[in-house]
Order: sequence, then structure tokens, then C-alpha cells
Amino acid sequence: MSMSKTHPVWTGLLLLVIGGAIGYGIGLGLDLLISGALNFNGSVSAAFALLLAVTFFFFGVYGYRGITRGLVFQVIGTLLGALFVTGIRALVGSDTIFGSFLFSEPAWVFGAFVGDVSFVFGVGVMSDWMKWARGIDTPEHHEDEPGWEKYFGVSLDHKVIGIQYTVTALVLIAIGGTFAMIFRTELAQSQLQFLTTTFKLFNQTGPQFYNTLMSLHGIIMIISILLGVSGIMNYVVPLLVGAHDMAFPRLNAFAYWVAVPASVLMLLSLVLGGFDTGWTGYPPLSARAPVGMQMFFLGVFTAGWSSILGSANVIATVIRMRAKGMTAMRLPIFVWASIATSIIALTATQLIGLSFQLVMFQRLFGMGFFDAAKGGNPVLFQHLFWFYSHPAVYVFVLPGLGVISELLPVFARKPLFGYRWIAMSSLGIALVGFTVWAHHMFTSGMNEYLRVPFMYSTLLVAVPTGVKFFSWVATLWGGKIETPTPMLFVLGAIIVFLLGGITGPPNAAIALDLHLHDTYWVVGHFHDTIFGGFIFPFFAAIYYWFPKATGRRMNEFWGKVHFWMMTPSFLVLTFGMMRVGLLGMRRRIADYDPALGFDTTHLIMTIAGFLIFFSVLIFFINLFHSISHGEKAEGNIWNSRSPEWQVPSPMPVHNYDVPFVVVGEPYDYGLADSKYVEFSPNGSKHPEFPPVREAGKYH
Amino acid sequence: MVHNTQENKTLLGQGVLIFIYLAVLTGLEFFIAISFQSVPLLIVVALVKAALVVYYYMHVYKLNLEAEVDDEAYDYKAGTNRLGLWLFLISDSFVFAGLMAMRVNLLGLTRPQLNQFLGLGVTAVLLISSFFMNRGEALMHNGDRQGFLRNTAITFLLGLGFLLGVVIIEWHTIPAIAETVLHLFGEPAGVEPLKPTSGVAGAAFFMMTGMHAFHVLSGLILLGIVWNNGRKGFYDEKQYPVEAVAVYWHFVDVVWIFFYPALYLIGTVIK
Repeated sequence: MSMSKTHPVWTGLLLLVIGGAIGYGIGLGLDLLISGALNFNGSVSAAFALLLAVTFFFFGVYGYRGITRGLVFQVIGTLLGALFVTGIRALVGSDTIFGSFLFSEPAWVFGAFVGDVSFVFGVGVMSDWMKWARGIDTPEHHEDEPGWEKYFGVSLDHKVIGIQYTVTALVLIAIGGTFAMIFRTELAQSQLQFLTTTFKLFNQTGPQFYNTLMSLHGIIMIISILLGVSGIMNYVVPLLVGAHDMAFPRLNAFAYWVAVPASVLMLLSLVLGGFDTGWTGYPPLSARAPVGMQMFFLGVFTAGWSSILGSANVIATVIRMRAKGMTAMRLPIFVWASIATSIIALTATQLIGLSFQLVMFQRLFGMGFFDAAKGGNPVLFQHLFWFYSHPAVYVFVLPGLGVISELLPVFARKPLFGYRWIAMSSLGIALVGFTVWAHHMFTSGMNEYLRVPFMYSTLLVAVPTGVKFFSWVATLWGGKIETPTPMLFVLGAIIVFLLGGITGPPNAAIALDLHLHDTYWVVGHFHDTIFGGFIFPFFAAIYYWFPKATGRRMNEFWGKVHFWMMTPSFLVLTFGMMRVGLLGMRRRIADYDPALGFDTTHLIMTIAGFLIFFSVLIFFINLFHSISHGEKAEGNIWNSRSPEWQVPSPMPVHNYDVPFVVVGEPYDYGLADSKYVEFSPNGSKHPEFPPVREAGKYH
Repeated sequence: MVHNTQENKTLLGQGVLIFIYLAVLTGLEFFIAISFQSVPLLIVVALVKAALVVYYYMHVYKLNLEAEVDDEAYDYKAGTNRLGLWLFLISDSFVFAGLMAMRVNLLGLTRPQLNQFLGLGVTAVLLISSFFMNRGEALMHNGDRQGFLRNTAITFLLGLGFLLGVVIIEWHTIPAIAETVLHLFGEPAGVEPLKPTSGVAGAAFFMMTGMHAFHVLSGLILLGIVWNNGRKGFYDEKQYPVEAVAVYWHFVDVVWIFFYPALYLIGTVIK
């Protein structure tokens, strides 16, 4: 790093502009060379600008190492891979050596794949494994760089990786949210206002661009949620079970780093013609969409590996690395939720990868899986796709519901009601979740005899979910409730998830679903479940564990502003969605008939959307400001019984200097003489923080 | 490491015995398919074969689910790695299950037009390679490095033979070789070879064999790595990598135990 006093982020932003300009110029020139026309808002210049801008930005912030090296490798790998295929096409005398986006579609796909693989080598996450393969031993642990720099390179520390995941998730939430604001603005009024048919960007007209943004909003949010889930699990699970790290630290780092090129591919799909299928990518539409579709498929495929390998790691960690005395029925409830979510992510994720791979191959090699003209079956895609993509929502919400159950007793100062039932309900949701996928297909022309069984299995999900609600209400009942920001978000989560929950069974009932399918009602229901089941608990978890990671707490006032601005706006937004949905508003469309009379509701929804957007902006500012300027919070500020709060914050590098033993039930808040964990009798290395607090202090 | 010779002889003997069972069952399955074509029986035979491999060759019983925080001993870590590998295999088997579901959905009780004798041939090659893999692992456990290297090399060559058999002959990538070999297996001249673009039978066949071949290829790379490190003198004490590669290789075999009847035996041929 240079010795100048400029903050590296400013250098990064400057280089971002320069890199973007250089990339834009290169792309413009190449496009002119191949297609013979200057296309100022076309795809090729945008693709090069995007790749170089991101790379240059990280170069400015961090120099040529870690993530920058990965991105450089990805850019070069993509170009080499694409040139390789282009060269072969030229050699065999193919009719189309180049495509409408400079390279042909196979060249882009192969290039993106090579870029993907190059990234993980470039970033350095493979280097230990490559040495092992050659018989060279490496040290068990690597020392991290000090300060913020360790977050931009490969670290094997689960806490660093957890924060890397969380920050990446927040960046993607910001991008996906911005996309939502753009198309939400278009929807504020009937007719097309700015995404019109004459609008032209990245080879897309206004309505096409709307479709791309709508599709990308879906998938980018999904990936950000998956990364957020991994973020909380990575940071918290080893701390809760008393492990010094995850079971496989290198695999853990690998699982994080494959998500980065996946995110780049997602953004690349925006500029390479986009795709207009929604995030579900159903063929036959997805078999004909522009190259952006392939980038989307490859991006999801790569991000899927992050999810799969991360889950295997979580399961192995919990099974093999628990503290002494931590029997199954003394596991923290969040750990149970992580196990349940990991079981789904470990297995079902393969099916979305497979379904997308089949469409990719159908496009690349003309294989007829979903092509009715060749005897293929488009409905097969939906079965494979939903076998993951329905359980996926349980991947999102189970950790969130785990956070609710984990935090609720801390702030209600009461034992968690029905611990065993809560623990088992997570597994119950996960297992029942495997049998419900075809409820997405009641109107898709699948065999009719499948409808009723899938209706009943879907309704069955309400039972273990109801168990959770019962427990939450019973835990709150008669508690000495405190409401700092994390608890506000927990309470908000319960209310919003309740709304999401009760709007679910109507969709499961076949007769109603035939009317509700593909309306805004479903959009409202879905946003309620995901906000209540993940986004609210995610914010709660960040406010709650932020002091553990930084030794400072986030600003309480602005946290409350965030909550009180977001929650009512969000409820207005989803009620509006459900209203227009019930009245017949189709989802996934850029425009609606003014005669339907939806204009006022849509305007209110757009305003509510912007209020949410600004509340999250406040959260971001609060977050980044508090890292260095927040109020110091090094002790057990929430009065939690959980082991990670019995040691000082920020958490020491190798977690617990002294291993702890579990001697009691985890959530016996307010019970006299109860203890959960006991540190070794030799005493903690940090005498100023007594290892286990007096039982009486919990009252 | 001192090993009980008696135990190791039993291990080698067990490998031979299981191989004989598997070979007999493979023959039986072929006979069922060409004589009276009973799908339930074919499924039962495949399940029995898979169970034999999973239990005896992949020794799933070695899984240990106990927890011991901060145990830095090699055996404990190997146990954790074993769990991780099995979790990965469970995950991976969902890909193959998905492909199988695709085959059932698209083809039902029909199958692509393929040479059944060639299918039996490549299956035998993979099965024999599994036998040598098991033998190599047992010999390394016994401390017989040369035996381990020899058997791993045989496994590698047989695996390579399987891979080339599928890619060159079954896929017709080199038509001259493919037609000569197919002729040896009694294929009449002038039969149109399957193509990925020729209907769903071709698509399903290329996708399933392709995904399997990709796993064989990665298995070959792993075999090369342990062979090379074994040659350098590793694995006297820390033998888990050998076990891991063996388990992975057998897993690839288990997948083929299901794919082979699904592609070559079950149902009537699509014209």
C-alpha cells in the first residue's frame, strides 16, 4: 500500500471510474471491429466496463493480491476461454465465428466457466490443496493479515469468512434492492413511463430491461440470502458449539470464494442481453433467451456449490466438534436450525444445478431434454427445479426462525418454551419440505392425480411452523421484555412471518391457487415469508452479534429509526401487493391497464418501497460508522447465557482460550441456580470477565 | 504400524469374495434382462450390488459420529474427513438421482439403442477396477507399498479403459475405432449411432454417461495423486487419503451399478 493519506476506498473509486472507462473503450472498439457499428449503450462495451471497473476498484483498495488477483484471473480466464472457442470455430469454418455480443454463445459460456475456475486459483484458495496433491505439507493454520485487509484475501478463520459472507450478502442486497426500486418506480403509474419501447440499453428495450431487472432482483436476493445464511452460520455455529473453527477451514474458504465469481456472472447476465424468464428460468422460454440466460445459469450453478460445501462443513462441525456435555438436547436452538437448513442445502441444491445444467446443454448441444419437438418434457424441468427451489425457502427461513428462537429468551428473560419441540420442528419443516415441491405446478399441466397429495403435504408444513409460533408466544408470555434494536427486529419478524404464514395455505389449496397463481398475491405472500423468516432476523442477528465481532455496538437510535421506518412501510407494501393480486394483477409484467384502478395502490406501494430502501440505507451507514465509531461494548451487553458472550469482544482469534463444558440447559433464563456452560476450573485468561455469571444476575 | 497379518489376509480374502458375488450378480442381471426382462428383479439385483459395495468396499461402518472438541490427533481428524466425504457423496448422489428421475420421466420403460454386450464389457472393466482398488487399499493398510502401487496402477488403467470405452466407442467420437470395436461385439453394420441431438434417448444417454464419465475422470486424477505420493513414500502412518480415493472410486462404481441397467438393460429399445 502507498503511504499517502488518501483512504484506499477513494483510490478504489477513482480506479473504478478509470477501469470502467478503459473497459468501455476496449469493448466499444472491439464491437466496432466485429459488427461494424458504434453501439454506445450496447452489451460488449458494458461487459468490459463492468469486468474492468470491479477489478480496478479492488486493485485500488487492496493492491494486486487476494480478491484482485482472483478477479484479474477471472477476466483473463474468461477472455482466453472465449477466444479458445472462437478460434476453434474459426478453424472448423463455422458459419458464426462471432455472435451478437462479440463472442458467440458457446464462447461466452466456456469463457465464463474458465473464468470461474481461474478465479479460485487466482484468489489463492486452492494453493494448499495443490501443495497437498504434490505431497507438500502446509501449516494447519495461517496467520491473518491485521486489520481490515484480511477480509479481502483468503482467510481460514471462520469468523473472518462469516463476515466476508455477510458483507457480500449486504452488497448483493443493495444491488438487488436498487433493481427493485427501478422497476417499482416504473410500476408507480400505469402505462410505460421510462422503461419504454424506445428505451435502449444493453441490447434490451424498456420492457425487456424491466424483465431482466425483475428476474435479477429475484436471483440476486436469493443468492444474497444464501450468503447471509452462510454468514450467520459460519460466524455463530462454531462459537455456539465451542469449536475453535469449522471442521474444514479450507473448504470453508473455498465455499465463500466461489460465490464471488458467481456474483460477477450474475451482473454479467444483466449486460449480456439480460434474460426475461424470471428467476425460475422455465424452458422453453429460457431455451431461447439471450446469452445473459447462460450467465445466469452458470452463476447460480457456481453459487450452488458455495451452499452445498458450506452445508457439509456445518453438519460435520456440529457432529464432530461440540464441547463436552453438549448433548443433542442441549444444543443451542440456532444450531438445530443450521443443521436442518444444511440438510436441505446439502442435498436438494444439486437438483437446481442439474436442471439449469440441462437447459444450458440443451442450448449448447441441441440436446432435447425439454424440447417437445424432440420428445422432451418441459414439465420435467419444473419438477427438478422446484425440488430444490421450494425447500430453498426453508433454507432461507429456518436459520432466521432459529435466530428468533435464540434471541427471544435473551430479551424476554424467560426460558424458551418447549425447547424439544422447537428443535424438532426445524427438522420437521426440513423433511416435510422435501415433499411439497409440486404445489408450484398446479396450473402447469402436470398429472392431475399429483395435485391433492401435494396440497396435503404442503398444508402439513403449517404444523411444525405453528409449533414455533406457539413457543414464541408462550416464551413472551409473562416475560420481562426488553426492547433493544435486536429484539425489535425479532418481534417484527414474528409479526411479518405470521402474515406470510397465514397467507400460505390459501395458495396450497388447489381451488384457490388456480385463481391466485402468478398474481401479485403470491408476490406479497412470498415477500412476507422471506422478510419475516430471513431479512428481519438477519438484521436482528447483525445488531445482536455486531459487538461480538467488533467490540462496539451499533447506534441504538438509528437502529430504532431503521426498524420503525422499515416495518410499517413493509407491511403497507405487501398488503398492497396482496390487494392488487386478489383483484387480478399479474406478476412479472412491466405494465397494467389503467382501467383496473390499481394506480393509487401502486403509487402507495412505490412510496413504501422507497421508505424501506432509505431505512436500509440508514442501516448501512449505521453499520459502517459503528465499526470504528460505535459505543464500546466488550462485555456481555445483552446478559446472554450463551458461551460466546462469556468471553470478551471482539472474539479472540482462536475463539475460546479455555474450553467450556456444558452443565445445564441453554435457555433457563431467570431460573435461580441454573448454569449453561462452565469454563475450565483453572479460570479464564480474562479475569475481568468472569466466565459464568451469577445465576441471580439474570433476573 | 504393526498390523495383524491374519486380519489383513481376511481383508484381502473378503475383497475377492465380494468381487465374486458382484460378478455373479452382474451376470445374473444380464441374464434377467435378455431372457425375461423383469424390472423389479433388476432393481433388486442393483440394490444388492450397491449394498455390497457400500458396506464392504466403501466400509461405511467406519463412520464415527462422536464429538470431541479440539482433538488434534490424526485419527480423529481422519474420522472428521471421512464424515465430510460421505456428506459430499450423499450430496453428489442427488445429481445422479436427478439424472435417473430424468431418464424415467423421458424414457419410461424404453431404452436407447445400444450394444448390450459392449455395455456388459465396460461394466466388467469398472467392476474389476473396483476390485483392484480395494486390494490396493488393503495392501497399503498392510504396509505393502509395492502391492499398493501395483494395484492402484491397474485400477488407473482399467478406469482409463472404461473412460475411453465410453467416450470413444459409445460416443462415436472416433468413428473408425468405434465401428471396429462394435463389430467385435456383434453389432450389425449400418446401425445409426446415438447422437446428443437425436431425440431424448440420445440426450439422456449422453447426459448420464457424460456426468458419470466426468466423475471417472476426476477419480483418475485423484488416483494419480495418491499413486504419485505413494511412490514418494507417503501413507505409512497417515493413510486416510488412500482410503478417501478408494471410497470415491467405489462410489463412482455404485453410480454405474444403477446407470448400467437403466441405460442398457431395462425396457424395450427405442427405434
